[in-house]
Amino acid sequence: MDQSHIRNFCIIAHIDHGKSTLADRILEATGAVRGTAQEQSLDTMELERERGITIKMTAVRMNYTAKNGQTYQFNLIDTPGHVDFTYEVSRALYACEGALLLVDATQGVEAQTIANASMAMNQNLTIIPVVNKMDLPHADLTMAQEEIENALALDATDAIPCSAKTGLGLEDILEAVVERVPPPSGDPAAPLRALIFDSHFDSYQGAVAYCRVRDGSVKPGDKIKMMSTGKVFQVDEVGVFRPSLERGLALECGEVGFVTGAIKNIGDASVGDTITLAENSAVDPLPGYRKAKPMVYCGLYPTDADDYQDLRDAIEKLQINDASLDFEPETSAALGFGFRCGFLGLLHMDIARERLEREFDLDLILTAPSVDYLIQRSNGTKDHISNPSEMPQPHELASIEEPVVDATIMVPNEYVGTVMTLCQDRRGTYVRTEYPSPKRAILYYTLPLGEILLDFFDKLKSSTKGYASFDYELAGYEASDLVKVDILLNGDIVDALSFIVNRQFAYYRGKAIVEQLRKVVPRQQFEVRIQAAIGSKVISADTIKPFRKNVIAKCYGGDVSRKRKLLEKQKKGKKRMKNIGSIEVPQEAFLSVLKVAE
Amino acid sequence: MTPVAVYVHTPFCPSKCGYCDFNSYAMSGDVVDRTVAAMLEEIERSPWKGRPAKTVFFGGGTPTFLSESQICGLLEAVLEAHPPVEACEITSEANPGTVDMPKFAAMRAAGFNRISLGAQSFDSGDLMRLGRVHDADHIARAVGSARAAGFENLNLDLMFGLPGQSMRGWRRNLATALALRPDHLSLYGLTIEPNTRYYRLHLRGMLDLPDDDLVVEMYDEACSQCAAAGLEQYEISNFGRECQHNLCYWRGEEYLAYGPGAVGCFVDGEVRQRYTNMKHPERYVEAVESGGSLWCDSEVVDTPTHEFEKLMLGLRLNAGVSADVAHDAAGRAKMVASGWLEEVPGLLRLTPEGRHWCSTVTSELAPG
Repeated sequence: MDQSHIRNFCIIAHIDHGKSTLADRILEATGAVRGTAQEQSLDTMELERERGITIKMTAVRMNYTAKNGQTYQFNLIDTPGHVDFTYEVSRALYACEGALLLVDATQGVEAQTIANASMAMNQNLTIIPVVNKMDLPHADLTMAQEEIENALALDATDAIPCSAKTGLGLEDILEAVVERVPPPSGDPAAPLRALIFDSHFDSYQGAVAYCRVRDGSVKPGDKIKMMSTGKVFQVDEVGVFRPSLERGLALECGEVGFVTGAIKNIGDASVGDTITLAENSAVDPLPGYRKAKPMVYCGLYPTDADDYQDLRDAIEKLQINDASLDFEPETSAALGFGFRCGFLGLLHMDIARERLEREFDLDLILTAPSVDYLIQRSNGTKDHISNPSEMPQPHELASIEEPVVDATIMVPNEYVGTVMTLCQDRRGTYVRTEYPSPKRAILYYTLPLGEILLDFFDKLKSSTKGYASFDYELAGYEASDLVKVDILLNGDIVDALSFIVNRQFAYYRGKAIVEQLRKVVPRQQFEVRIQAAIGSKVISADTIKPFRKNVIAKCYGGDVSRKRKLLEKQKKGKKRMKNIGSIEVPQEAFLSVLKVAE
Repeated sequence: MTPVAVYVHTPFCPSKCGYCDFNSYAMSGDVVDRTVAAMLEEIERSPWKGRPAKTVFFGGGTPTFLSESQICGLLEAVLEAHPPVEACEITSEANPGTVDMPKFAAMRAAGFNRISLGAQSFDSGDLMRLGRVHDADHIARAVGSARAAGFENLNLDLMFGLPGQSMRGWRRNLATALALRPDHLSLYGLTIEPNTRYYRLHLRGMLDLPDDDLVVEMYDEACSQCAAAGLEQYEISNFGRECQHNLCYWRGEEYLAYGPGAVGCFVDGEVRQRYTNMKHPERYVEAVESGGSLWCDSEVVDTPTHEFEKLMLGLRLNAGVSADVAHDAAGRAKMVASGWLEEVPGLLRLTPEGRHWCSTVTSELAPG
């Protein structure tokens, strides 16, 4: 299709502002999918549906006949809304010229609206404000427009009122995409340059690279070259997403689609790389993406040590579909061989774990999540550590710095006090307050990343009746009085349970974890002592009394099957336990740090 | 044809006890008569007709809840379908509150030669909390009646670890039971099973259960008192003159079963199969009348599973289990080292301490 008739755009919004529903309506209106049998067509992963969020973005090709009688090619890229997945949003933006900025007419601008909109503005995308959920009785178009203007400095006079649910305003949106989003500007005659913005691994086709053709075109049979590695592949298939993969004859300049070429090594289709032709190559690659920086680290171990290699294969496969996942091998005295993995946030961590367990049938143990600390030893050497067990002894440590974030919290005025108290409890530093509308405030704080990891968001939501919204961005390192707390079982340090914490919270956290462990570690055939300690100083302790017996019950002809199944089930349960010394510790124990409530 | 153990399940009780999760129903009248008729029909149509009975066991429910003619008629049908071997042990369970001398005499005349009395406790508080229909006096009277009717093989069931039970109360129970000179004692630790009244009470924290330590002491006390009284322990829960029928279960042998909810296990050619009859009396009667399958559940017990069951059951016997069915050498060494398991040539058996840990030892000896 003529380049001037192509429109590449995405939808950006705060979570739950109706992005996937709007995407569904657009797909229906353009005939890309029929009816509403399966709501939220773009959320393909089982997990996404269960959790009602979009994790992986998807790109869909549609044809739209506009009021001017001409037919346009739309490429819609769906983006995730959760704060953990900001990086995926940033990649989506590289493939687009325009963005629909979706704002809930009952909620107004939220923290992620601001974060995502600024990213889009930095990319020089054309932004079309859309106010959604106008069918709701409390919808307030004026409020939403005011907030868009005040908080985002965008002109909202021609914001489009719509309801993704009823279809109201849908045509206006489609027309606005045609009229306001500029067509792609690449050179069809220039050597091929296509940017890989996502990928997934298919057992039959190898790596499937999702790309945006900037210049030139690509078709099956072409010899292509990955510009970062120089490796050459022959293109098997090209095609588009409708939303399932559909083969085509070529991907032309400005188009969005996929390329396969028996790319067996997943590292050879890395996100951010530029594809060109092996002959008549482009000279300069397209600017690569900002590599996502993991915020949270944890150890990932197979429950059964024999599954180590399977876990490695699984993480490698997951990584091609999840470029923001980072990992390297590590060993733990308690857990054996495993991996240190970096994630964008806790939700990302949880989703990765669930995908590994579900899609690859693995039993995993996760260690306490940690952030990345910057330490300076007494001898002057500096290091980054993300594993508490690497922390030097107190006398070898000169200073320690922790990562901090610039946090944006949007909240109705009456909760400003509550939120400020919460931030102070989490060692936050107040920066400033803004009032985008008479009833709402934006609070800016600097907060230690380690303090918002665990339950900050839950706390924020529960203390503001769900009204607060939150976003953050890494803002460097600051010195802090941090200590390592060890957890001991019958006198032995369980390295996988050690954690780093500000000294003033050490006692409280140690005590809470000991209590939590006492609940989740089952009684054994001997007494188990649980302790929390800083160095050699025990700060909290408890014991688990031993069992004295199994159930002493009868067993006759009618009991045999049931009794057998019970023992088989117990044996299976035991397999999921980890032996630390002679103590059987269930998987939950390693996540007990997460469950420590205020 | 090889003789086989035969089990008959009568699912009726005067009332449902709080701890009981057996297939039993507090029903009376017409449905009882129709169920008995259906059971007679099932036995009459049995595919195993003609196989001699090695042992016969009437359990429940409460077999003695049936009338004299009903219970005797059922036995007659069983013995006709399965001619008893010489000195065949024929047991009926009996509730002390549902028997008298004439009934016992009729049962003895019909061929029963062993009575198992569900005494449970001699403490009126225990009995009330358990929801039993009898009191302590009934038990002594029932024992007297059974003896007078000519039963020379008599068992008493007792339970320990009951809500509110003390060590003293348990000792008194044991002494009272032993004073009645039973030939056999079955001692059961109370387990809280789902779908019982006790389970619901337990969830609400309303059962004052003795702790693990006390329950272990009660069990050990029972073992030593039985030994002193000349009732030798031969299985985790059983003491005295061996019950031939139950030995068939613990040795992993076949057993045929009739009646609602009865569980049988038989070998057909190379295949070992376990089945459960329809549980609810009405469903069972319907199935018999329609002439269709009576099974609500069945499973093929393959060789590894059968070996696991033999291990699980055989370990319960003081005599021990064939060492061939213990496949985990490391687990075996660990259990021997912990003092719970003894190795005697060709056999493995639990030590007295090991009898507290039968499930753990079973799991340790079983293959991965």
